[in-house]
Amino acid sequence: MGRDATIRNPYIWAGLSLLVAGSMACFSAYFIFDLTWITALGISLLILSFILLALGRTIPNLSPEVCVLLLETGITSIAAVIEELGVRSRAIYLPSSLTRHRPQALIPLRSNLLLPRIAKSLPQRLIVQYGDDPDDTGLLVTTVGTTAVGMLESIPSPSSSELESALTYLFRVTLGIADGTTIITRDNHISAVIHNPRFENKATWSHQCLGSPMASIVASVIAEAWDKPITIKQEEQHKRKYHIELEVME
Amino acid sequence: MKIYNSYIIIVASLLLLTTVILVALGQGSLDIYYTIYIIEALFVTEIYVYFNAKARRGLNLVTYILFGGFLGSVALQIVKILA
Repeated sequence: MGRDATIRNPYIWAGLSLLVAGSMACFSAYFIFDLTWITALGISLLILSFILLALGRTIPNLSPEVCVLLLETGITSIAAVIEELGVRSRAIYLPSSLTRHRPQALIPLRSNLLLPRIAKSLPQRLIVQYGDDPDDTGLLVTTVGTTAVGMLESIPSPSSSELESALTYLFRVTLGIADGTTIITRDNHISAVIHNPRFENKATWSHQCLGSPMASIVASVIAEAWDKPITIKQEEQHKRKYHIELEVME
Repeated sequence: MKIYNSYIIIVASLLLLTTVILVALGQGSLDIYYTIYIIEALFVTEIYVYFNAKARRGLNLVTYILFGGFLGSVALQIVKILA
């Protein structure tokens, strides 16, 4: 962590303040006033200060404002390309085994009433051909989910419980945008419910194509876990729950 | 950072509550206070399984420091008994 970031870190400041206050309370109460309860209170302040200093070192350098700036810029650029091409088909979230690198989303340029079967891994280019037909061309784009999968410590297995804990870890701890996730799997249909989402979804053309950022994260993680292409069939908000319906492609 | 804040608030509340209860009970031994503080801090840290690896490493270091303090207090008690 850089020096400037340390100076602006409220956890470090709170930790240092409690360290000074706790040390003074302990020293004066134990050696001068002989008061056990103030000494104990000072010890508790010292314990808290250690915890704050330890956690303060793990805070990211970038401020939330910079993160929003980068996210908005990235999403706007992809949205501009998609809107300019007039693409209306739903994106297919591919696992890293089909992209040779990391999970990405393939947007077929023609309307995908019949979803294409992708058998071979695609080259790392923006415009790729995914089938034998010359019209089987699409855009291979990096999404929010691509980066989010990289934040996982390990790729979960396809079981609902492992997917739930991986997504809860991502949403609750790493990103802090929701409280938890529930996953229900029925054959090749997967329902994901995100509890108490705190991420604003904008109804744009690119969202119709790629899905919302939260749906993109869910689709990318599941695609990587199942090692199969995934599409987002539907997503909607019900009060404090965000429902996402996904389909695993064979 | 919501999870960090909730963790810190729970630990701070527990430590303060323990101090109030032990003072009300008339506890005069600092070792008892310190031992209970450590147990509570360790318990809450174990409950928060969702901490990332970096945070967990930092908290493990705090645990070692606190446990070192506990061993120090035990050593002092042994010296007192032997003396």
